[in-house]
Amino acid sequence: MGRLVKAEFRKILTTKLWWALLIPAVGLALGWAWLSAIAFTDVANDITDALDVNNVSDQQLSLSSLALTRAMNFATLFPLVFGALALASEINRKTITTSFLTAPNRASVLGAKAIVYTLWGLIYGVVVALAASLGVLIGTGDGALPEASDWMLILLSGIIACVLWTLLGMGVGALLGSPVATLVIVLLYAALVGPTSEFIITLSTEGSHIAGVMPNGSANGLTGSTASELLFNQIQDLFGAQVGNLSADQIDDFDTVVRIAAGAPGAFSLWVSGLIFLGWTALFFGTGLIRNQRRDIT
Amino acid sequence: MQDGSGRIVVQNLSKNFGNVAAVQNLSFQVEPGSVTGFLGPNGAGKTTTLRMLLGLVSPTAGHTTINGQPFSHLGNPARVVGAVLEAQGFHPSRTARNHLRVYAAAMGVPDQRADEVLNLVGLGTAGERAAGGFSLGMKQRLALATALLGDPQVLVLDEPANGLDPEGIAWLRTFLKAFASSGRTVLISSHLLAEVEQTIDQVVIISRGQTMYYGMLEELRKSQQSRVIVQPADANALATALQEAEITNIQPMPDGKIAVVGATVQQIGDVAAKAGVALYGVQEEKADLEQLFFRLTSGQYAAPGMVPHGQLPGGYAQPVPQPMPQQMPPQGYAQPGYQQPPGQGSGYHMPVQGYPQQQPGYQPTQQYSQQYPQGYPQQGYQAPGYAPPGYAPQGTPPQGTPPGAWGPPSTPQPAQQTPPGGWAPPSGPQPAQPQQPAPPQQPAPPPPENEQQPGQGGTGGNA
Repeated sequence: MGRLVKAEFRKILTTKLWWALLIPAVGLALGWAWLSAIAFTDVANDITDALDVNNVSDQQLSLSSLALTRAMNFATLFPLVFGALALASEINRKTITTSFLTAPNRASVLGAKAIVYTLWGLIYGVVVALAASLGVLIGTGDGALPEASDWMLILLSGIIACVLWTLLGMGVGALLGSPVATLVIVLLYAALVGPTSEFIITLSTEGSHIAGVMPNGSANGLTGSTASELLFNQIQDLFGAQVGNLSADQIDDFDTVVRIAAGAPGAFSLWVSGLIFLGWTALFFGTGLIRNQRRDIT
Repeated sequence: MQDGSGRIVVQNLSKNFGNVAAVQNLSFQVEPGSVTGFLGPNGAGKTTTLRMLLGLVSPTAGHTTINGQPFSHLGNPARVVGAVLEAQGFHPSRTARNHLRVYAAAMGVPDQRADEVLNLVGLGTAGERAAGGFSLGMKQRLALATALLGDPQVLVLDEPANGLDPEGIAWLRTFLKAFASSGRTVLISSHLLAEVEQTIDQVVIISRGQTMYYGMLEELRKSQQSRVIVQPADANALATALQEAEITNIQPMPDGKIAVVGATVQQIGDVAAKAGVALYGVQEEKADLEQLFFRLTSGQYAAPGMVPHGQLPGGYAQPVPQPMPQQMPPQGYAQPGYQQPPGQGSGYHMPVQGYPQQQPGYQPTQQYSQQYPQGYPQQGYQAPGYAPPGYAPQGTPPQGTPPGAWGPPSTPQPAQQTPPGGWAPPSGPQPAQPQQPAPPQQPAPPPPENEQQPGQGGTGGNA
């Protein structure tokens, strides 16, 4: 297995895809975090000023955590593409023939790929997390930053999301065997169909958790839940005594709005979302591997 | 455990893709120390068989072993068997050396082995070039380098000569022979016997997914029959005399010559001398191995309703100014199908139309019987290897080869060629229509099914 892992690393490092995708991932994470941190900080200051009329609280609203979350969430598209091409392009270019001929069995090839792409998902995640953090730091300026522990939790969940998206992409690619079909499907779903449908479902079912069970919804929950919970608590603090006057329904509605703002409508908490997304990844990855175990390589 | 023999065994192997039976009950064995040719027309099931052997395609029935084990039990298979497969892929932007290093890592051989095999296949200076910019021949060499990376005991090559220049083919031939002579095993597929004839010791010929011949190439050579072309002063008299001498396998030829099977030049000469018939020319003709290959693999695609090219008078019916000389380069025999004039169908189907010729080729005999009431025996010409494809070039001259001078098939030699014995050009086209590009149709073509019976014609078919 060690030999095959080494071979898989060489396959990646002797071609350009890994940096051709990493550069835009960094650019997007950095740029998005930067710009949205500027915007959110502005909004946050306004809200704080408006709510805290008596100026009794030194609590500040750290909306820039939303910027961090959303930036990492968008950047997961790149490890997704990277994973989607892992096996699909080998099948398409027929290098899979030689890969299978030089390995004890197919399972070991696919297993080595899983290990290597997990590591690459991790690399993408860490780099994207650093880029997004940098963007938020620059963009927030002298505004309120989230606390370090919250910050780290958001980064960690973003890194896990990168790894899982990589493996999910690899599974879909292995299942379909065609790079074009795989890319069209995963990108359309992750960037358009998924978010839109989850938004609509959440609004029309009045904040149910249906969207949070779906692949994209659970992935968003993984990255977005931390930020939205953090914000929800901060805003409750800001409202202070006024919270007591709100009905349970109103609090629920408010929670839904914050989750939508964090890009995670209808999502469960961090850990539940993470487990659901892990399940989806395992499903696609597993069926993709089984498909290749039996595929006739002609 | 592996027995280390280097033996390849294919046993009762079958593979269906949907309702297409790509391979049917195929069995053969490849011994170490020899080069075995795996021959058949395109689509005969060669690639599928090799891919089943290498564990890339799962068989519907039967099994294959290398070293006594199925491919999946070889452990580190690339150290046991190296394969050059058709359409084997390379990442277009990965350099040749990096390509080899990837797989060197996978099979656990040191990196310098990549440079060794690059030099071995003559790509030493191209190691830093991206494989996407390689020519077909260079890709074949790189594929071979990949196969040799693990220094395997068994080498499996699927159409390795595709895209190689003559020098490359010669090099490959020498290399494979040396490889086999060191006690290792080589299995090489091809759709052209001529391409591998000088390389292989043993041959497996398949057609339509079934074994047509399996054995030593030498045996196949011996199984060929030759015929003698005689130009007598009086063909009728000689024919009668030969029949009296119990040499009955006689076929008249359009220009007054007759072809005799099963008799030596001496025998015929004696008979002629006894009968007082002068002989103006006697020549022994030995069929090319390639013709035998055609006969064994013919009819794979014979489509009902398609007019087999062989019924054209360009076959036996065509006046033959001189028998096809044996020195004729094998290409003349080997590729009649490819040399047919355009307009007969798409390029791919050319050989297909060429294959069924053997059967139609017998037809002129029947015509002669009408023109020749003396009653030549109508057994036709049964000798193996005399499939008309070999003669087709006379009618459909290949570009750049001498037979071009003989003229197109539709322009039979004019009447002055008509020999004394009242022999007329047998075929429909009259000298009056020399410009007609396609010869008139002969009587109904024999049903193609006839030709699809393997073993017909007595070469020992399935061994």
